[in-house]
Amino acid sequence: MPVVTLYLDRLQKLVGVKANKILKVLPFLGLDIEEEQKEFVRVEYSPNRPDYATDVGIASGLQGLLGVKKGLVKLNIKKEKKKFLIKSDQSVKKIRPFLSAIIAKNGKLDDESIRQLIALQEDLHFGIGRRRKKASIGIHNLDSVSSPLRYTTVPKDHKFVPLAMTQSITIKEILEKTGVGKEYSHILGNKSKVPIILDANNQTVSFPPIINSALTAVSTGTVNLLVEVTGIDKKAVDDSLSVVSATLQNLGFTLCDVVVDSKNSSEAFKARSIPLDPLLVNQILGLNLTITQICDSLKKCRLDAIPRGKKIVCSIPRFRFDILGAMDLVEEIALGHGIENLSPSLPPSVSVGQKSSVTKKLDHLSHIMIGLGFTEALNSSLTSKQVLYDYTKRDSSQIIEVAESKSQEYAVLRDSILPGLLGNLSKNIHESYPQKLFETGVVFSKGSPIAETITLACVSAHKDTSFTEIKSILQAALKTDSNIICKTVASTHPTFARGKTADIILNDKKVGTIGEIDAEVIGNFKIRVPVSGFEIMLAGFIF
Amino acid sequence: MIRILKETPNLTPEEIVEKTNLSIDQIRRGIEWLKLKNLAVVLESEKSFASLGKNGLASIEVGLPERKLVNLIGGQPMAFDELRKKLLDEINIAIANAKRNDWITIQKEESSSMVSLKKKPEQTSEEKLISFIGQNKVPLDQIKDQSALESLKKRPDYIIIETIKSKTVSLTDEAKVIDVDSIGSGAIDVTADAPVVFAARTHPLKDVINEIRETFVSLGFTEILGNLAQPSFWNFDALFTPQDHPAREMQDTFYIKGKTAEKFATPEQISQVSQSHKNGWKYDWNVDAAKKMVLRTHTTCVTIKYLAENKPEDARVFSLGRVFRNEKVSYKHLVEFNQVEGIVVGKNVSLRDLMGIQKEFYRKMGLYKIKFWPTFFPYTEPSLQTMVYNEKLDKWVELFGMGIFRPEVTKPFGITRPVLAWGGGIERIAMLKYGLDDVREFYNNNLGWLRNASKCQ
Repeated sequence: MPVVTLYLDRLQKLVGVKANKILKVLPFLGLDIEEEQKEFVRVEYSPNRPDYATDVGIASGLQGLLGVKKGLVKLNIKKEKKKFLIKSDQSVKKIRPFLSAIIAKNGKLDDESIRQLIALQEDLHFGIGRRRKKASIGIHNLDSVSSPLRYTTVPKDHKFVPLAMTQSITIKEILEKTGVGKEYSHILGNKSKVPIILDANNQTVSFPPIINSALTAVSTGTVNLLVEVTGIDKKAVDDSLSVVSATLQNLGFTLCDVVVDSKNSSEAFKARSIPLDPLLVNQILGLNLTITQICDSLKKCRLDAIPRGKKIVCSIPRFRFDILGAMDLVEEIALGHGIENLSPSLPPSVSVGQKSSVTKKLDHLSHIMIGLGFTEALNSSLTSKQVLYDYTKRDSSQIIEVAESKSQEYAVLRDSILPGLLGNLSKNIHESYPQKLFETGVVFSKGSPIAETITLACVSAHKDTSFTEIKSILQAALKTDSNIICKTVASTHPTFARGKTADIILNDKKVGTIGEIDAEVIGNFKIRVPVSGFEIMLAGFIF
Repeated sequence: MIRILKETPNLTPEEIVEKTNLSIDQIRRGIEWLKLKNLAVVLESEKSFASLGKNGLASIEVGLPERKLVNLIGGQPMAFDELRKKLLDEINIAIANAKRNDWITIQKEESSSMVSLKKKPEQTSEEKLISFIGQNKVPLDQIKDQSALESLKKRPDYIIIETIKSKTVSLTDEAKVIDVDSIGSGAIDVTADAPVVFAARTHPLKDVINEIRETFVSLGFTEILGNLAQPSFWNFDALFTPQDHPAREMQDTFYIKGKTAEKFATPEQISQVSQSHKNGWKYDWNVDAAKKMVLRTHTTCVTIKYLAENKPEDARVFSLGRVFRNEKVSYKHLVEFNQVEGIVVGKNVSLRDLMGIQKEFYRKMGLYKIKFWPTFFPYTEPSLQTMVYNEKLDKWVELFGMGIFRPEVTKPFGITRPVLAWGGGIERIAMLKYGLDDVREFYNNNLGWLRNASKCQ
């Protein structure tokens, strides 16, 4: 989950409450304190609340819970006489069709605010923007561009000076040579033209979703901002812009309208209404709250609530798109009421619990194996081709792999438990012998689409181990409790030694293999003592 | 050894070897055992020895220079020059010592001096010492005539003094009273360490898993099972996870290469889930993405499938088992770990009930100090997390998460009653119980650890 650093003196001023009180409330806003220092705290916020990516956003939430300021955080968008215009060209429709924008005026930015704005932007790019694919944000110095802007496309030889550079380079060069270009060029596909935002004087403002122009760079001296969001998903574009807008308003900017293709952008920033039934609230929370108490709790979460008959109508600001329906409001009420004020209760129950029959049988079998002197091992279902097939000389034609594993050690689903146990022996050669291990667990095989079954495998490693010893173990494991008697019939298996290998036969069906482990296999695992073992499928007779 | 040391205290190991006919290694080991049991003390001491040097050894045969002198003289006085021809450069020391012993007189005549015996030359103390030492090394404390020794030391190459460090063993008071003869009666040393053997045992993590399972059962929950490999539909779509959600990407979730499920749900279930995504997330749901097989990322897929298939009005069930995440393995992350999840379905169950069940669960697990904080989970609303106070770390640690299934999750499957759900990773609890700070230890199968691990909480 994302993390934001909060400087306490800044936060105290923003909220208007002392830091020690703030620190106590933070967790009840859903913010986990990761690190606490004298001057700052680092808190983790939930991905559904990008408005908490900045301290101004968190301050607004804290004011609600602490009762300093309650009720809806309205986005006030001023309509100006002289409209700022953006016109989009037909050519962007097939590449990156949506653009929304807003202007923020007369604000002050310090280094910390800029740092947080960039962090917010990155968070939105990553989450809602799906790594800039669905939506990407450009924040510009408004005073460096002239209306009307044009959102259009250009060929890849178009040149401009990108942000943080001093020389003009082509789009092709940006895509092929710069870090951001290489990282995000895949979003644009193989089209010959790319989206671009140009101003009235044909100066490049931005090359979405890759990089802004150096021309519009924002610094601590910037007072007026233009924010544009482009993307392929209208909802993601407007969601992103709403969070940035709310943040800028919290920072003291005045939001002003932009006309995009003759539509006022303020249209997209209206609050929504959701009706709420107090009965649902009280049922889910297990409380008896009055309508007034419910409304007050909602207001503490910076929402508005008006009683209407026996129902409540809630107003949700545009940037709280995490609220999908009534149940989300119930959670807000729980937060506003205070989780610490909810006392745990126990629901009446007459049900009798039980373990699954498979678990019970496996427990029995484990006890029997332990009684026979075998210690339980636990290995991952994901393993390596090396251990599963190469070292054991097993046939790998039926291999089941996972895609893009971060480690070769965990790239293949096991179709047998025994190789893992041999791997365990190989890591314990410095420990005292005899070493006797067993494991029960799921093994995978091809089916429709994948078959899972449970097997038992065991190994015995010491200088005197033999086929006879391990067959005694097999007999005892099946006979005790289950009274199963199996046969062993001479066979061959690449992992086991020739002439000392058998199929385990039960009701004329092969259910496993038993024997002394092949000397070459033992060598592959760098084990220095003889090993014998078996593996047997349990489905069908143990359970 | 005890028997011998009782008779003669302060023996060196070599002396004990001589007396016991055991090897020096056996004696050394025996001394260590006696020391360990506090039956013997070993004193380290320095001892000095005198032995004869080259000239001293020669004098045993031929006598001291003064003895040679008087032997030459015999009864008749001899000229000094004659004597010098025989005694060469020993002449001066021979004359000086013979005079000191008052053995000879010297008369000066014209041509030369004449030396004659004065009285019968008796054996001197120096000669006695030389014959006492002989070929041996003699401890200095055995030499009584220290002046003879000092005098011989002044002569070149007569005496060699060596200092040798030595160990001597003697018994403690405790050992002195041991009845050695009773040992022959078959009594053994019952306090001696026995060889180390190890009990075969359940895997320590399995112990914790079993404890958690028993706790659920005792709270009235019934266990349900499900496959580890699941269609994306049950792992994600049925839980309202949008198809472009980052958690569904290959870098977080293990997709099984080339595996898609054909029959994974009823047409009704598929169309309801599709509709729920369309309404909630405003996008066109794609059935092909739902077919892709993944290794389950949580046990919730088992729970939701159970709910969809059984549509219970009232239920208490739990599922427990392995789950998978495509992560880099580290001291706190595994690609495969165990999770448990319980649900309660009922007409009037509430968030407070969910908190109450948690409290009871932790109480049974021996964790008494808990509190609840709000949090976010994609498929529950409201959502909380349990914080448990860890005495050892002196801080609150996050354990299980919980919440009520979103209507977007339950409604498509026709479940109208609230579903309380909670769960979390088991290794995290097991680490607290075994005092581990590296989660990988559970899957290393290191016998040193498996044979010795013990619970600390």
